[in-house]
Amino acid sequence: MVSVVLSGVRKSFGTVEILKGIDLTVEDGEFAVFVGPSGCGKSTLLRMICGLDEVTSGTVAIGGEVVNDVPPAQRGIAMVFQSYALYPHMTVAENMGYSLRLAGVDKAEIRSRVATSAAVLRLDKLLDRKPRELSGGQRQRVAIGRAIVRDPRLFLFDEPLSNLDAALRVDMRAEIASLKARLGSTMIYVTHDQIEAMTLADKIVVMNAGRIEQVGSPLDLYRMPANRFVAGFIGSPRMNVVAAVVGPDGRPVLAGGAVFPVRTDLAPGTRIDVGIRAEHLSPAENGDEGTLSGAVRVVEHLGSDVFVHLAVEGAAYPVIVRIGGERQVRAGDLFRVTPEPSSIHVFDAAGLRVPTRSPARSAA
Amino acid sequence: MTMTSVEGSAAPMRVSAHARKGGLKAHERRVGRLFLLPALAAFTLVILFPFLRALAVAFTRSDLQTPEPIFVGLANFRAILATPEIIGAFVTTAVYVGLATAGTVVLGLGWALILNQSFRGRAVLRAVTLIPWVLPSTVTAFVWGWIFNSRFGVLNAALVGVGAIPYPTAWLSTTGGAMTAVVITKIWFSIPLFMSFFLAGLQSLDREQIDAARVDGAGNFALLRDHILPHLRPVLLVVIVLGVIGNLQHFDTIFALTGGGPVRATSVLSIEVYRRAFDQWDLGMASALGLLWVATIMPAAYFYLRHLLKGA
Repeated sequence: MVSVVLSGVRKSFGTVEILKGIDLTVEDGEFAVFVGPSGCGKSTLLRMICGLDEVTSGTVAIGGEVVNDVPPAQRGIAMVFQSYALYPHMTVAENMGYSLRLAGVDKAEIRSRVATSAAVLRLDKLLDRKPRELSGGQRQRVAIGRAIVRDPRLFLFDEPLSNLDAALRVDMRAEIASLKARLGSTMIYVTHDQIEAMTLADKIVVMNAGRIEQVGSPLDLYRMPANRFVAGFIGSPRMNVVAAVVGPDGRPVLAGGAVFPVRTDLAPGTRIDVGIRAEHLSPAENGDEGTLSGAVRVVEHLGSDVFVHLAVEGAAYPVIVRIGGERQVRAGDLFRVTPEPSSIHVFDAAGLRVPTRSPARSAA
Repeated sequence: MTMTSVEGSAAPMRVSAHARKGGLKAHERRVGRLFLLPALAAFTLVILFPFLRALAVAFTRSDLQTPEPIFVGLANFRAILATPEIIGAFVTTAVYVGLATAGTVVLGLGWALILNQSFRGRAVLRAVTLIPWVLPSTVTAFVWGWIFNSRFGVLNAALVGVGAIPYPTAWLSTTGGAMTAVVITKIWFSIPLFMSFFLAGLQSLDREQIDAARVDGAGNFALLRDHILPHLRPVLLVVIVLGVIGNLQHFDTIFALTGGGPVRATSVLSIEVYRRAFDQWDLGMASALGLLWVATIMPAAYFYLRHLLKGA
């Protein structure tokens, strides 16, 4: 159980700067998730915390101690790799006990610690098998078991579920969540899957192009994305973002003429982006304010929900709307929706969040 | 073209309209065999016939004094076993094969490990490493002959220069020196091929596996022992077997460097057979010795072929 503090961490490969100054604190016992698109530097950052890649400048501190020059094995960490990285010529038991064997722990104790961890992960019947004789899910559990056996201060996970099929991924996600609850260790988890980030994290770190875009709890990021990138990355389906201009009364006006029921303090005529999630749009009643209307392009039935893609005039991309599963909509229908005013997000030309207030209250 | 319909039938799906159970028809098989004829003819002419011929000659007395070969049964083999120099050639061969193979495996692996690291100029070094491989073997022998030369050789100059030896040594004129020289020459000659095998093997090693081992606390030695060598095991087997076969057959650099001397110190079986056949024109003895020589290669060749066929 330790905290991890990154200060001004940069990483360059040759002339290419991968990480452009990262400052971040992961608290003791916290489950932090680094999330971002491929190539954003999240895995590189994790490898630097692990000690597998050198830090170009800045410091990495684990448990209050700067570990820039400490080799991985002495950092008190365990890492679970994307490819599992099991040792193919060793049995499950040998894989799990390898670090203890290198550390000179005696055989009886290795056996008992391996057995304890194996029982936790339901691997007890597989201890004599070689990795090639295991399924993907079992291999993943061995990789986690190999990490647990060492009783590390800090767990690092590098996209551990991305090689599993969808159903297994859900199971393993739950398994990792229960592991987190039981061990209480500090954990850092890298993924490009925002659902994994939302479900597992105490703290999400959204990264893009070598920088941290926003740090916060899953709900904070969902409710108050700091910029357009975070807004688009967190939440499924993606937040609808449409181009608009600030109207004379401060309300955003879409190119098609629709007016959104929020106000900003930006000067009239300023170009802005308005974001609204599919779940914050609802079918409009007559007389509703700020209705968007368009032809239904695609209808996606998910059973519990229906996602309707609308071609809204003035919007570059279809606007996605979530409606109840029982409602009948057909492609080609004209459909009108209205946004929930408190869930409308406005971003300026630089993509940063702009504060909004309700037009009704300010008018009063 | 239309697909053959399979309605109402539970027949297994056909790969093509022409494929059928039982493979080729009889006349197709006959045609198929015709295609094998050129290869068979070449094999008979350049391998089978000479081999059978040597087999026959081995049981005859056939030298310059006997115009027509005379059948002598196992006399040549008995003579071989009774000739200490020839028994010595077997021992010399074993020493040569052992040293050259072990040296090439160890140095080839070491060199591959170095060339597998990332550093500036790695690609150039990899390319340069292949030079010994493309040099003709007589050129190699000539180059090393000069290096070992007692009066003008760079080896003597270097050793005397650093004070390791008081005066120049005639390396190729001492028994130990000559053996060392032929072994070093062969190692230098073979490293590129072995290094390529090892390097290919190393590049298929999962990088995350090495990372995981480092996190688990493995140092360089533990990495080599627990991960790299087990991963390279199949490559090592092939390389050792090929090395043994190649070194058992090796002739040219030894012949060019020492001619088998001094005092038979480097007279391996290939040199011995050559001498019997083309210096002394004792074809009977040479053939008998050749057969025994082939017999020593057989176990390694069998092992290699079995490995190859099993892998296919």
